[in-house]
Amino acid sequence: MTVHLYLSLIPEALIASMLSPEEFGAYYAVGSNKKSSGQAIFFEIDPDYRSKHFRIQEGIARCIPHDDGTPKASIYISVYRVLEQIDIKTLKRLYLVTQDGRTLGLDPSDVLPEPCEGLHLYKEVVPVSPLVASRLNPLEFYDLIVKNPTSLVTMPAIAFVELRLGELAEDPDMGEIGDLPYPNMDHLREVLVDLQKKPVATKMVDRTSPSTFPYRTMKNGLFVGNESKLLYYPIPSHEVLREENYRWWRSANI
Amino acid sequence: METIWLYISIGAGVVSIAVAVFLFFWVKKQDPGTERAKEVAGWIKEGAQTYLKRLYISLAVVAVILAFIIAVVFSFDFSQAAERSAVIIPLNGISMAVTFIGGALCSAVAGYMGMAIAVEANVRTATAANESLNKAFKLSFYAGSVMGLAMVGLAIIGMSTIMLVTQSADLVLGFSFGASALALLAKAGGGIYTKTADIAADLVGKIEVGIPEDDPRNPAVVADNVGDNVGDVAGMGADIFDSYVASVVAVMLIGAVASDGLSMYVVLPLILCTLGSFASLLGIQFVRVGKNGKPGPALNFGTIITTVLFAAMVVALVLLGDLELGILWATLVGLIAGVVIGFTSDYFTSDNYKPVLETARVSSSGSAINIITGFSYGLISIVPSVIGIALATFLSYKLAELSGVQGIYGIGISAVGMLSISGMIVSADAYGPIVDNARGIAEMAGMDPHVIETADVLDSAGNTAKAITKGFSISAAALTVLALFAAFAEVVEAAGFTINLSLQEPIVVTGVFLGAMTPPLFSALTMLSVTHNAFDMIEEIRRQFREKPGILAGTEKPDYATCVRLAAQGALSSLILPAFLAVGLPLLIGFILGPNALGGFLGGAIFTGVIFALFMANAGGLWDNAKKYIETGKFGGPGSEAHKAGVVGDTVGDPFKDTAGPSLNTLITVMSLVASLFAPIIAAFHIF
Repeated sequence: MTVHLYLSLIPEALIASMLSPEEFGAYYAVGSNKKSSGQAIFFEIDPDYRSKHFRIQEGIARCIPHDDGTPKASIYISVYRVLEQIDIKTLKRLYLVTQDGRTLGLDPSDVLPEPCEGLHLYKEVVPVSPLVASRLNPLEFYDLIVKNPTSLVTMPAIAFVELRLGELAEDPDMGEIGDLPYPNMDHLREVLVDLQKKPVATKMVDRTSPSTFPYRTMKNGLFVGNESKLLYYPIPSHEVLREENYRWWRSANI
Repeated sequence: METIWLYISIGAGVVSIAVAVFLFFWVKKQDPGTERAKEVAGWIKEGAQTYLKRLYISLAVVAVILAFIIAVVFSFDFSQAAERSAVIIPLNGISMAVTFIGGALCSAVAGYMGMAIAVEANVRTATAANESLNKAFKLSFYAGSVMGLAMVGLAIIGMSTIMLVTQSADLVLGFSFGASALALLAKAGGGIYTKTADIAADLVGKIEVGIPEDDPRNPAVVADNVGDNVGDVAGMGADIFDSYVASVVAVMLIGAVASDGLSMYVVLPLILCTLGSFASLLGIQFVRVGKNGKPGPALNFGTIITTVLFAAMVVALVLLGDLELGILWATLVGLIAGVVIGFTSDYFTSDNYKPVLETARVSSSGSAINIITGFSYGLISIVPSVIGIALATFLSYKLAELSGVQGIYGIGISAVGMLSISGMIVSADAYGPIVDNARGIAEMAGMDPHVIETADVLDSAGNTAKAITKGFSISAAALTVLALFAAFAEVVEAAGFTINLSLQEPIVVTGVFLGAMTPPLFSALTMLSVTHNAFDMIEEIRRQFREKPGILAGTEKPDYATCVRLAAQGALSSLILPAFLAVGLPLLIGFILGPNALGGFLGGAIFTGVIFALFMANAGGLWDNAKKYIETGKFGGPGSEAHKAGVVGDTVGDPFKDTAGPSLNTLITVMSLVASLFAPIIAAFHIF
């Protein structure tokens, strides 16, 4: 059986598994006897990837079928500072898994989203998971955090998504909240209004925000990068998701 | 002439049943779809049949015991009740027992036919939805018509035959009591079953585990879909059957007291039902989805056409038959009030109007605000219906009196007028659970997303039809029990007891208070049954997920049968106390406190019963649709704070609208029938 290598973002881990991405997604979200469950996000990475930072070969060697012939679901190779150490070029497809185990595969794109006017809301996923409002576009945000930090806040690598702000992006004071699902909307408005008034690039919205977020709130896709490379995984529009990935979309909308 | 009308009525009933049978086989001839779809539908069919088999076995035992008691009690001739002496005439008792059994049987058959076609039509509707919305709509509506037409046909044949053979309105009362007793238990049992499964499936499936509605991994999903059939199809069928028959018998009793023998006053309600059945048969033909592809307007158009046709027939009857104009006005008042009240219910439960939109909007402030807002709109929703009922009561009374007809007879006729088009109303109502089931099957069988989208469109119209039917049936029950109340007073007076229902009499006030207490108590008992049974089922679902992790991963099959069994057992064992309240309490009050207290008791029960029924049905529907509106992405959509509050409101509202609320009109009908049936005996034997 083929052994796959997965980089999980929730929680951050490098895992060897004999399961295909879809099977691994279902197992990871709901199928474990250990009762770990919930939304998961992971990349499949090049199975030939080896690094001095991870004992990958040893993990693969231990990833053998169970006595009854069933495939080994997971061997954790590393659970600490994984994204920071990994070579971004080895990342292949991204998988977004709903809490009931439906998996959506996304391919990276060479084309970054068009820069747009207005404010932005970023959900950092790894290595920390605050909710941050910003006047910067995704590329500028990545640049500020990873490549050219202008403050003490910097990271060697980051995975983040941009979340929808709707009318608040242009008009945080009076814009309609519409279908935004975020709790404490008044606070979000205040932060966005502050951003417009003050000469700062980013402002914290929620420092204790959980790693998970409703997939339908993603504005454009997931960004992952370190100092050497940034990858962008665009997510299809709601209409396309509903049309082509109905089961996943329905699960993502509970 | 009256005898000829009875033959015509029987003929109309036969035609109704013949069309129902024809549609039954037409639906069965349609494509049942893929093997997987048939397998899923098979689980639902088996679960529904198992429950109904158990229910009907239990009810058969109850019916036989009650029939025996009725046979013994009514073998005594209480015509000399005032002298407290009685002559034994066994034939009277046996006749009453036989009609009682007949009523129970017809009610059971109507409910069973509705369910039998619903469990065949659900999978065929899902399959037809793969082709077109029009085809799926036609199939599901015709399947719903099977129950509507069968119910009307059985009721007319049953009542007309009794009148033809015995010429006794009292024996039709026995028929009505049989129908109502069974309806109460079928409706309350079905309501408890359906909400037990629904709440348990949602709380564990959606909230705890995070799987969507109708997901085949949920162990309670089959029980949930079975519940739609036993509660919304079989239960509602038996319920309307009971109101339909009770409204007729109330008028017959009043007519019988006012005139001798088989007079036009006694037969008139059957004639109206006959015309209503013809109007429904014609109206059903007009229910078609046009080019705009909207099923809701198609259903409403059918109702309006049926109403207009029926009104025209009544005009012709009154003018050609040289009947008093008061009968025409009373019928039209009831008919118009029923339709208007039905559509008013839609205002409070549709997401096109303020109550639902406002409840959804304020949900972002949390569950408490959602509950308070929904509760308040539920209370407001009583107002138009009560004004409608009050107007219908007043106008039908006065207009009848002005043309020389007894005022109370006019009220009874207005109730019959309202219910005469039940064939059409029930057809539209039964369509709802069929398309709801079709959607569930499409999900469980992994059918194409566009099938689910089509089923969603059909389902949305079904919810509106359901809301209209609830408003309609509660209003009709209100007028029916007012007529039955008058019939009770007439029967007591005829037995030689002078009834005095003045509120200055302490015994009457005592009865009023006890009666007013009964519907809330009944509601509480049925809703507590739901929470108690749902608790057991939640534990079972959690156990299955805990012990078989492969269920969620899709590698193991859940044990659907255990949840189906738990829901059935729980529902049946929960019926004892509610049944006692309906049958035993009026008798206790009557025999201990006397006819005046019983009159007060009925009055109190009627008023709180109608108010609670309207409030619960509308508030529950409002909370349900507020949650669904949020789920379309509004106010934060699924997963938002508003949605969490919406789910709480919907869960609270579920037993309101589908368990307690719809059973209350049957409760007050049964209590009124029990009082009327035993009135001569109570007049003779009471302690105070």
